[in-house]
Amino acid sequence: MKFFKPANLNELFKITDNFKGKIYFLAGGTDINVQIKNKLINDENIVFINHLRELKGIRKENDKIVFGALTTFKQIINSHLIKDNFPILSDSLQNFASPPIQTSATIGGNIANGSPTADIVPLLMILDADIIAIGKKGNRQININEFYQDYKQNSLKNDEIIKEIWINTDAQKDDSTFYQKVGARQILTIAKVSLAGLIKEKNGTIKRIKLAVGSLNEYARRLGKLEKFLLNKQRKNIDFAKVKKNLTEEITPITDLRSDKDYRFAVCYNLIVSFLKS
Amino acid sequence: MKKWKETMKINFILNRKKVSLDVEPMKRLLDILREDFGLLGTKEGCGEGECGACTILLDGEPVTSCITNAIHADGKEIFTAEGISKEDDGKLLIECFDETNAVQCGFCFPGFLVSSYNYLQTDGEENLDKIKMALSGNICRCTGYQKIFESVLLACKRRVR
Repeated sequence: MKFFKPANLNELFKITDNFKGKIYFLAGGTDINVQIKNKLINDENIVFINHLRELKGIRKENDKIVFGALTTFKQIINSHLIKDNFPILSDSLQNFASPPIQTSATIGGNIANGSPTADIVPLLMILDADIIAIGKKGNRQININEFYQDYKQNSLKNDEIIKEIWINTDAQKDDSTFYQKVGARQILTIAKVSLAGLIKEKNGTIKRIKLAVGSLNEYARRLGKLEKFLLNKQRKNIDFAKVKKNLTEEITPITDLRSDKDYRFAVCYNLIVSFLKS
Repeated sequence: MKKWKETMKINFILNRKKVSLDVEPMKRLLDILREDFGLLGTKEGCGEGECGACTILLDGEPVTSCITNAIHADGKEIFTAEGISKEDDGKLLIECFDETNAVQCGFCFPGFLVSSYNYLQTDGEENLDKIKMALSGNICRCTGYQKIFESVLLACKRRVR
């Protein structure tokens, strides 16, 4: 049970290199501290990273927007770069957690913690964000849609952290978007179901469609089969029985303290229908 | 909460005074304020960042101190309800909460004071929707919120004058 505060990334890699045992990286602390309180983290090694300048800020680089891993939700919500390029992010995150948590919580933390209900993940999935992991050996680029393997299991190695998130500036363009998070209250909502969608049609035909769901599987994911089924279909002539069937193959909702599986399935289906009919 | 025992020296500004202490880096900021500085205005409600009773300002932004660690405070400026109660906008808010009878049991009040103060400082428009959003991280189980919103609206009005 050791605690480290490296002065910069180079120092961080000196600590993590050859380190035996699990390391937790502490950024805003809004998830880790709840896990400590609930004794899910007890005496693990912690490396503080919240002060590292190399991991901060939002900027435009050529044809992409780059988010430092430590960018807070408040910074995302207030950023003009984000409002101009990905209004779905600014709009959808208004109700993320609560104002104090928006101040502390970071995009990198929300992704790395890997909760199936993480608010930003389905949004990043329909925007096809890339995660830039950094370790001693250098950078590695992983698409968010390939980042998770199981419940709270991501593809970072023990000595890697998220450095940046990249989204191409044309990820949203003029496409219609949809985001809805369904929960028991308006603020500090932990989603029972969330759906992010993006659609482009030409002469009534669906030419581009992306759908991602949260809280319905071990980790958030794109509905790849359903997307394929919907592509090139007439938007006004969708066979919703087949949509439902596709959905049963792609989501595996569970019953837990927040909701039950039938409700989750029904709500997810209804959200998809209202998005497609909107 | 004493598992990371090695201490570190941290420095910060607390209610306009420079302070420093040797502390376990993972100690909750809430506990530091209450135990090391005797500032009992900052309350522990849920202990998970959901109720807002422990809200403080860290570099001018509201954070829940129960899920913030000592290490997060290093080099920063902190305002607690006690510090805010000595500032002009803090005094004004207390006057308005008092006049409106917005405080009942009082447990949540320091958190509401911090969030309301932050709203006056960063926006201050007499706008109910904005106020509701600014206070959305604070839970009150006595008042039903109406009187709290009225107090902050009143403070916005008097402040503009």
